[in-house]
Amino acid sequence: MQQRSSRIGPVTWCGIIGSTCLLIFLFQKILWLVVPFLLALLLYYLLAPFNKKLLKSGMGRDFAAVLLSGAFLLLVIGALLLVYPMVIANAGEWQYTLMRYFEGGSRAIETLVYEIQQNFSFLRHSDISVSVRENMLGFAERFSDKHLSEAILTAVAWLPSILFAPIIAYFLLKDGTQLRTFICETVPNAYFEKSLYLMYALDRSARMYFLGMLKLAAIDAVFLSVGLWLIGVPSPLLLGFIAAILGWIPYIGPIIGCLLAVMVAATDFPGDMSLIYATIGLFGSLRILDDFVFVPYVIGKNMSIHPLLTLLMLFIGEAIAGVAGLMLVIPILGIIMVIGETLEIIFRDTRLKARHTYAQKLHQRAASCDLNIDPHQN
Amino acid sequence: MLLSFTRKFKAFAGKFETPQLATLRGVSLFSQIATGELRAIRGLLHRRTYLKGEIIFDEGEEAQAIYFILSGKVVICRQGRPVDGAIAELGASQCFGEMALLDNSPRMAQVRAAEDCTLDVLFREDFLGLLQTHSQIASKLSLELARMMGKRLRQNINSYVL
Repeated sequence: MQQRSSRIGPVTWCGIIGSTCLLIFLFQKILWLVVPFLLALLLYYLLAPFNKKLLKSGMGRDFAAVLLSGAFLLLVIGALLLVYPMVIANAGEWQYTLMRYFEGGSRAIETLVYEIQQNFSFLRHSDISVSVRENMLGFAERFSDKHLSEAILTAVAWLPSILFAPIIAYFLLKDGTQLRTFICETVPNAYFEKSLYLMYALDRSARMYFLGMLKLAAIDAVFLSVGLWLIGVPSPLLLGFIAAILGWIPYIGPIIGCLLAVMVAATDFPGDMSLIYATIGLFGSLRILDDFVFVPYVIGKNMSIHPLLTLLMLFIGEAIAGVAGLMLVIPILGIIMVIGETLEIIFRDTRLKARHTYAQKLHQRAASCDLNIDPHQN
Repeated sequence: MLLSFTRKFKAFAGKFETPQLATLRGVSLFSQIATGELRAIRGLLHRRTYLKGEIIFDEGEEAQAIYFILSGKVVICRQGRPVDGAIAELGASQCFGEMALLDNSPRMAQVRAAEDCTLDVLFREDFLGLLQTHSQIASKLSLELARMMGKRLRQNINSYVL
């Protein structure tokens, strides 16, 4: 979108940023609706190629939509039924493991901070390393009482609306084109072709973003799993997968992913600082590769937004809606940019405006042609 | 035998076409399309109505769609010259703007509604998507498009020679 954004004027830019902020503010109020809708969009773009293949094989649009979204819904329900007994059976053990990793991680951080303290004379007599460790352990002890039950309750509350996503995806697959036709019907004739193109551009941008995010997560997961396995961190596949998914939360996600891997490395290999440095190095190099190679290649330059604007919008998104704002702000900004640019092209086009005014006059004349006929004239 | 039964069934089903589909079948480009296929195309079309004198598109404009005339007439002309620059007048069942489907070149002429008219519009990307997903529709439409272009080319050659 860099090529596009150069054509956008300052007034439109203000409109784009303002609209994005307003939408983030509104969306955080109806997050219960926005999250399943976004998941449905993700699912829709994920299933669209399969839908195309089914249509190609001669299947009807309705049946293909039922088949695909139904299969996905069954898959989710099956996975939940499979995971639930596993969670119940292993909850105690997992909690113990989690505490052990917290302990190991906090010890590693204490060592790191202590080493820093030893290298700086003004920090040597402070007790930062001890207080950092105590804080981390305190958080870990309170976690199960205070945060875990809250997290489980939130997950249970969100479950119905998340299960709603395949149903929305079904309607998008089945009636997507009709919905677009319905929206286009409201557009005046003069702007019609341009609005058709706008719909296509929006669809393309959203598809590139959502599918790109999935592809990027897959690439990150493979890269991290192989990297963690090579440097000798245990459970590389699971850690790589979790860190790749966490990468969807801009800036904070990769840091949490890295911390998880550091915690595991520090617990299973206590005192091996080189492994911790290698893990941090691996996550750092992935960040660089993501920003300069994978994102431009996978998501494409079309959705790329200037880094300064990205950073600014991330801060604004976080300030307005917290983690949800961080995750929503970039896709919303991308979509609003496409709309803003197209609307600017449409409204700046004086010829289209003149054609629309002329068409309005014709319609008015047609509507009022028999109004001033004198009934006594004949 | 199965083939003849299929043909008979299609002919029978064709009798129960909705008025909308029947109108669409009147368009020359869709004359060979089966009812089920026509239904798939119908889902992609946008219906527009234009009043006499209204401009449908301008010469040099970016081309995005093909138009099918369901009722009324349109005049294809040089930009802003509907009388002395008229190139052709098209009526119901004919289509225009088909070059948009074949290449990304700008519109070659202006099109105005010569009478109040109703048009169906097919967006280029939808047309290309249709060609990918429905091979039978693709071959029939391509053949009809080629026939139409050939006919216009022959007419142009004849008028040039004469």
